Amino acid sequence: MKKMHQRVRPWLIKNFALPSDVVLELPRITIIGQLHVYIENHKGLVVFTDEELKLKTTKGYIQIKGSSFVIKMMLPEEILLEGKISDVKFIPN
Amino acid sequence: MKQIQGSYITGYVTLLVKGNMPELFFQECMNKGVTVWNIKKKNKHACSGNIKLQDIKHLKEIKRGKDYHISFIQKKGFPFLLSRFFRRKEIVIAMAMSILLIFLLSNVIWKVEIKGVPKDIEEKIDKQLKDYGVHPGAWTFTLDKPGEIQRNLTEDVPELLWVGVQKKGTTFFLEGVEKTIVEKKDVEGPRDLVATKKGVIKNMYVSKGLPKVEINDYVEPGDILVSGTLNEVEQNEEEEEEEEENKEKENRIVVASEGEIIANTWYNTEVTVPLKTNYELLTGEHENKYSIGFGDFQIPIWGFGTPDYEAIHREENENQFYFFKWKLPIRFIQTTLSEKTYHDMERSKEEAVQAGIRQAKQELQLKLGPDAEITSEKVLHESVESGKVKLSLHLTVEEDIAKAQPINQGD
Repeated sequence: MKKMHQRVRPWLIKNFALPSDVVLELPRITIIGQLHVYIENHKGLVVFTDEELKLKTTKGYIQIKGSSFVIKMMLPEEILLEGKISDVKFIPN
Repeated sequence: MKQIQGSYITGYVTLLVKGNMPELFFQECMNKGVTVWNIKKKNKHACSGNIKLQDIKHLKEIKRGKDYHISFIQKKGFPFLLSRFFRRKEIVIAMAMSILLIFLLSNVIWKVEIKGVPKDIEEKIDKQLKDYGVHPGAWTFTLDKPGEIQRNLTEDVPELLWVGVQKKGTTFFLEGVEKTIVEKKDVEGPRDLVATKKGVIKNMYVSKGLPKVEINDYVEPGDILVSGTLNEVEQNEEEEEEEEENKEKENRIVVASEGEIIANTWYNTEVTVPLKTNYELLTGEHENKYSIGFGDFQIPIWGFGTPDYEAIHREENENQFYFFKWKLPIRFIQTTLSEKTYHDMERSKEEAVQAGIRQAKQELQLKLGPDAEITSEKVLHESVESGKVKLSLHLTVEEDIAKAQPINQGD
């Protein structure tokens, strides 16, 4: 049953052009230059320093590195980060 | 970003959270639905962030059971600005006083302007206005309404034909029209006197013209009473002799006839008089009360308690307060309580008939003017119906029935 379920979702995305972040509950990350990162659909903050931001997602973590980080806004499942971004990394569970 | 918009108006504070993993405190805030923004990591054990003023009450709940030390490092926004303003008593007092001053000055008459009348009458009006209390420096809310002032002025200053009183803000504008005695305009040129009503001629005083009727003649409206044509020709010829007639007309002597034709005329009127009447009389005892009203609500400021009058006639006089030119929802109300008494009267049929005749005579006299004289009256029919006496009256009047009518000279 679970296998079936997992197969249906990619099929839906492919054939009905549904947005993948909604259907698969994946984070959507919007990066504006090196200045802003806007992450939606995350599952919580794990680490925040002025050089690193680590967020939990459904399948692992997202790590963003850079310098002089400020969280401009924080809402449930949404975060807007400002600073000088150097890299974004996905860390699987 | 709309979540943090307008936070300056509602106010926000900057928190400094100290402890192990301080960013997780903000994570907790977020889970509780508290918006946090501008989160900065100061060092390993300190983190700062902004939250809205209205969310402060949730902080305690979030902090419970966790080892964090929270301090407010900055307060920003309108509510804090306001409280800082109110902390300075002098400014608040000065502002209240200046508003009060403007309010008071808005309710004072600054100027009385009189236009359209010569100097001497202007002075008279000015003096009269001072008697009413209308002068620069007077409170507007103690004055009568412009309409009332207008009426009083035209009554008290006989030289005035009409006066317009207008209150514009703190100025009274008066525009007067002087009474000029206009000479009575006579119908100029030759004229006849004709009857306006049917009647029997009683008396004739003809000073000019040729009388066409005699005493005891019966006349109908439009009949010529006095002719202005002195050498009148019998006009029974037909149209064939029109030319001759025209010639005759040219030789006519015409004058403006003058005279007074007194005739007996008749009027039938109907009056109904109730057998039972009641009326109210003011005894002259009165008391004034003053109050300030907000909408439907009134606060008495002078004159408390009700006088022990038998019955009370109330008269309210309201005046608006102003702030500059704007009307405030506050009114100054003067209530005059006058004592009144009720009188019940019951009269017999005879009395009612007499009252009815009196009433009918008065009404007719009013209609005909003071020159007419009611000579006799006769009750044609009387009946009593549901407490009322119904009268049908026949009145005989002696009056002047002549009216000037210009003679058409055909040119």
